Amino acid sequence: MFLKAMALFLFWILLSASFEWIHLLLGLVFSFVVAWLNSGHSPFVPKFRLWLRIILYIPWLFYKIIESSIHMSRLILDPALPINPQLITVESKLRHHAAVVLFGNSITLTPGTITAEVYRNTLIVHAMDKDLSKDIESKQMESRIAEIFKDEKPDL
Amino acid sequence: MEILSIIFIVTGLFFLIVAAIGVIRLPDVFSRSHAVSLTDSLGAFLMLVGIALHEGFGKNMLKIMVVLALLYILNPVIAHATIRAALRSGLKPWKKENS
Amino acid sequence: MTTFFFFILVLLTVLIGAYLYRVLQGPTIFDRVLGLNGISTKAIILLVVIGVYFERVDMFIDISTGYALLNLVGALAVAKYLEQKGLP
Repeated sequence: MFLKAMALFLFWILLSASFEWIHLLLGLVFSFVVAWLNSGHSPFVPKFRLWLRIILYIPWLFYKIIESSIHMSRLILDPALPINPQLITVESKLRHHAAVVLFGNSITLTPGTITAEVYRNTLIVHAMDKDLSKDIESKQMESRIAEIFKDEKPDL
Repeated sequence: MEILSIIFIVTGLFFLIVAAIGVIRLPDVFSRSHAVSLTDSLGAFLMLVGIALHEGFGKNMLKIMVVLALLYILNPVIAHATIRAALRSGLKPWKKENS
Repeated sequence: MTTFFFFILVLLTVLIGAYLYRVLQGPTIFDRVLGLNGISTKAIILLVVIGVYFERVDMFIDISTGYALLNLVGALAVAKYLEQKGLP
């Protein structure tokens, strides 16, 4: 709870950007009140090593986003509109809530594929093209996420 | 620095225009949502990074990065919620005729 | 540089018109929700560019942060409601 309040207070300083004592005091009080109101449910707090791995995962995700954005723009700008949308079912072997959340968000963030439904660790994905759906089924992204969460206790 | 920021902004503008064309041309909700996510992920990123480079290092750059992180966290949630509502209410995705 | 930003402002407004066509013309209600989501993303970028144009970036970025949060709440509420109610 103390860490949560400190993070909120940092955000307050960033947004207000004034260092008079009345503003700082007000921000401190409000960040503790909000942290106390939210202290009932804390689903999953990542450890420090996990944060480091997630930050190292982000550049690879950017590379995928740029690659599939260019593919997607070529599809849209083609006068014949050669799209072939399809629903595919992906059954992942991830055994953690946060891992499934990260996987679904990464799929939605890359253009051309979007997560439509999640049930435990089965995802229904709407893909725009054969190439993009093959990209999901090749399990490349999933194995990277499994690498991030390899020493967490499975809870799914 | 100015040249770099102009290059970033023009590239981002290109992706925004492509996404607007896609929103008009594509046939159904599911494929249009792909076009909207194209602007959200790459177009907004390139535009905001270009503006941040134009502003220079400092407080404003940090604030623009906060807006960017907020966009990256919130937009997949909204797209996923809309598509799930569309799928659960029984809308069929558009298919190619000859397949 | 100011002329360049003015050009970007005009172009973004024209792009909002394309999304507005989808909002008014969409066959199903989900098209309209999706178009509103796209308009709000454009509005966030537009607010930051307006801030650069008038040289008041620090104020306009706060407004765009609030706009992003309001957009999340509104879109989630509409999606939840339509999910329970089904296609009208």
